[in-house]
Amino acid sequence: MAGEIRAGERRQRRGEDPERQFQWVVPAGRKASIYEDLTLDTQPSVHRFLKSGYHCSFADGRGTWDDASTALDVVTWSAFRDPNELWERPYYQQGAQCEREIDAAVESARSQGLYADVDPDWVAFLRRDGQVPAFVEHGIWAIATRRSRAALSDALTHGIVLYAAIKQRQAQALVIEGMDLDDAFGDVTIEAARERWLREPAWQDARRLVERMGTIRDWGELIVVAGLVVEPLLGVLLRRELLLRGALRAADPVTPAIARNAQREGAWWQDFAVAFARFAVQDPEHGAANRVLVDGWLEAWTPETLAAVDALEPILDGAPGTSFADARAAVVADQRELVAAATLDPARPAVVA
Amino acid sequence: MATQQTRRRSVTKTHERIAQLGWRHDYHQPVPIYETRYVFPEKAKDPMKQVMREYLPMQLEKDDRVYGGFDAALRAGMPTKADERWLQVMKPLVLILVYAEGAAGRCMSVVMDVVPNEELLNGYHVQFVDEVRHIGMQMNLARWYAKHTPDPAGWHRGQEYMAENMFTRAGINMFSHSFVGDPIAAGFTMMTVIETAFTNVAFVALPDVATRNGDFIQATTYSSVQSDEARHISNGYATMLTVLQKDENIPLIQHDLQQAWWIVHAFVDPFVGTIMEYFSSDRSDNESYLTKWDRWIRDDWYRSYVEQLGKMGVTVPPDMFERARERLVAGLHHKTAPLAFATWPLQFWKFSPLTEKDFDWFEAQYPGWYDEYGATWEAYSALTDPEEGALLLGGLLDGAPPFCWTCMLACVLDDDMCHRTCTDAHGHERTRFYCSPECKWLDETNPGRYTGDRNFFDKHHGKALSEVIVELGLLRADGRTLIGQPHLRKDQMWTIDHIRDCDFEIRSPNITQARVLGLPDGNWHDPDDPHGAVMGDGNGFQPVTLYGGGRGRNGDGRVVSTPEDLAAAAVGSTPWVKL
Ligand SMILES: [Fe+2]
Ligand SMILES: [Fe+2]
Ligand SMILES: [Zn+2]
Ligand SMILES: [Zn+2]
Repeated sequence: MAGEIRAGERRQRRGEDPERQFQWVVPAGRKASIYEDLTLDTQPSVHRFLKSGYHCSFADGRGTWDDASTALDVVTWSAFRDPNELWERPYYQQGAQCEREIDAAVESARSQGLYADVDPDWVAFLRRDGQVPAFVEHGIWAIATRRSRAALSDALTHGIVLYAAIKQRQAQALVIEGMDLDDAFGDVTIEAARERWLREPAWQDARRLVERMGTIRDWGELIVVAGLVVEPLLGVLLRRELLLRGALRAADPVTPAIARNAQREGAWWQDFAVAFARFAVQDPEHGAANRVLVDGWLEAWTPETLAAVDALEPILDGAPGTSFADARAAVVADQRELVAAATLDPARPAVVA
Repeated sequence: MATQQTRRRSVTKTHERIAQLGWRHDYHQPVPIYETRYVFPEKAKDPMKQVMREYLPMQLEKDDRVYGGFDAALRAGMPTKADERWLQVMKPLVLILVYAEGAAGRCMSVVMDVVPNEELLNGYHVQFVDEVRHIGMQMNLARWYAKHTPDPAGWHRGQEYMAENMFTRAGINMFSHSFVGDPIAAGFTMMTVIETAFTNVAFVALPDVATRNGDFIQATTYSSVQSDEARHISNGYATMLTVLQKDENIPLIQHDLQQAWWIVHAFVDPFVGTIMEYFSSDRSDNESYLTKWDRWIRDDWYRSYVEQLGKMGVTVPPDMFERARERLVAGLHHKTAPLAFATWPLQFWKFSPLTEKDFDWFEAQYPGWYDEYGATWEAYSALTDPEEGALLLGGLLDGAPPFCWTCMLACVLDDDMCHRTCTDAHGHERTRFYCSPECKWLDETNPGRYTGDRNFFDKHHGKALSEVIVELGLLRADGRTLIGQPHLRKDQMWTIDHIRDCDFEIRSPNITQARVLGLPDGNWHDPDDPHGAVMGDGNGFQPVTLYGGGRGRNGDGRVVSTPEDLAAAAVGSTPWVKL
């Protein structure tokens, strides 16, 4: 991390009182956004203004923050921005909106008697496996929360924390749906879903993958693996291909609201991860080395993620109206596009067939 | 929007189901990147339950009220009606509290990395999200002050100034204790001490002072922050009840709670005490900082929380709490305040001299105050006009107390000040001063924790004050006028030329005092180090990789601290700290 952005580089515009602007904020665009004003440099750094070093360190020599917390290196971590500029207020607005839409769907299902129209085979599927994806979301949540602190800028830390918060909301929404289904149809328990997650062979590769994510120490690896591999392949398979498409065909009035909102949040995270990977591999100084690392992570995680996807074949084919082959083809194609958007070689993890 | 309200689900039932989402890993065990000395029981204590479906709309509603308040404050003309003396000190206060919020959030992440008990994790994470909210709201407050209050200079480069300001860097040092080191000790620092004991002072008492000074938007913002604290306090309590189930943890809790208490007291009491009493123009409040402290800290926290832990096997000797109070009575913040005011040219906000009305208030609250401090404040007032051509700092700095190595504030209480001799990387002896034996104990028992170029004045020793002001970028947009001013008037503003005319050279009190006392070198600045720090004796373990490999105490990048080590070290030179 050689360079740093000097404060006050922001171009002053005519008529603006320089003493009424946050001069330390170096806008990515023409003008500082409110996201930038409220986020940047809230996490201090020795590469920014802490000229006297970190004053509080770990006994093993790591400073308050530690450049070695990720194997990636860039000229200026503080130049990274969330392309969608999520900060607390829009986060609460969007999150509350998700929950309102879901609640409204439940309410209308109840008051309009829509639950009666749901394909009974789909109800049986939901009873069996509808809540199991919550364990995937929860497992990813657990590691994301743990790696947020070490990230080397405020924009990165906030992104990871809000990603975790989104995972937690998604996991809980599926569990709460289980309670609503329990009311409507009976015999929908979290215990049964848990049993499936822990013992059903078709879910075990997914569980192994999520547990392996818990071993990630490098927050940069976490963003890449969660954002470019696990979410687009496994996450989208579950949310879009299984829950959303399946529910729409089965006249399920509530699950689409849950899955659609989760996908909308997922799109934010995908953008974040793509921007992050591009930021790393296009770094003027360390881009080439970063590319090797990121490629290595894709190679290290793609086969196991695809194995988890493949193992789910009986689950998808066992649900009415979903086809595993189509679903797999769709997520693999989309993930390749995502990897290409990150300026990485989509053919590089050779196992992607 | 559905017109009918969705049938309410029981939060308890929902929580019971959600709590089942955790499972014991079979294929891969989680790998932490932080280490704790604590062990955990099978079953944890539940903190307050929180479900996102309830949480998100609740927080959104609170946000809407706060952000709506900013527009209302503008319409009501608050920026010009609020007291200027008060608005000035919001510059360091809000920014250091933003750092505190980030520290609180990051505390959750380190705690989650080591706590295996699923029951606790959800609460921790919701707190991190709260803390992101608190950062947003308070930065928005900062931005609003910058855009609308009469004199914003200082806000415009606030985050830069804060990093190298003699007071706020001490705050960065202290708040960092809540996410550096053993995660559970860090958790006690944040949740048990800062949030449980001190947020009442910071987010209840301070907003009250703000309101009295016509600044109701600060009050709106901080009250909304405080409304989240009950949950954070509950996280702290659940953490405590969980770890104290294991006997092995008891000495660690006793040790860590005392250290957490001390570092927080050492910064917050002088800092917030000074802000509350020396930057309020309103004198209608008949409760002094000390009285508030007795209510919030002694009665509500120490007596009804810490003492009660005794029933559960955690006996914390009362000495540290009593010592902190004695220090306040001895004038901890009254002796810190003149130093802060005298260093006005190095600050990024303006100060205003105390008036007769202020004197009367102080005398009423603290009988004998005028006899002790009056002359200093009269001298301060007399020298606010640049035409006088003299700085109070000139008469003060040579006799000024050195800065404490641990808490980074001045060692203002003579009887408490102490020192030790340390060896730098070249084998040279150097002196570290401490404001108190407790701060010395913290440094001695935490090798490697207190790092960087710590004594504020060391690196400026021998430089002209004007040079330092320019170096720190403390000039306004006109390139001449200082951002820090000793008064609030529009005329008689100090410029860099006035400072040059004073021809004042900075001498570090740490260097001066060591010399006067015949001690080894008090200087800990090394111009050749990338961060200006002298390496040695705990300072300057080489940066290690994530997986070790630096040169720690055993040459392996790790400093092993067993409970026995800590117990031995803790009892060593500070006998009242018994375990
Ligand atoms: Fe907070
Ligand atoms: Fe908090
Ligand atoms: Zn101290
Ligand atoms: Zn030396």
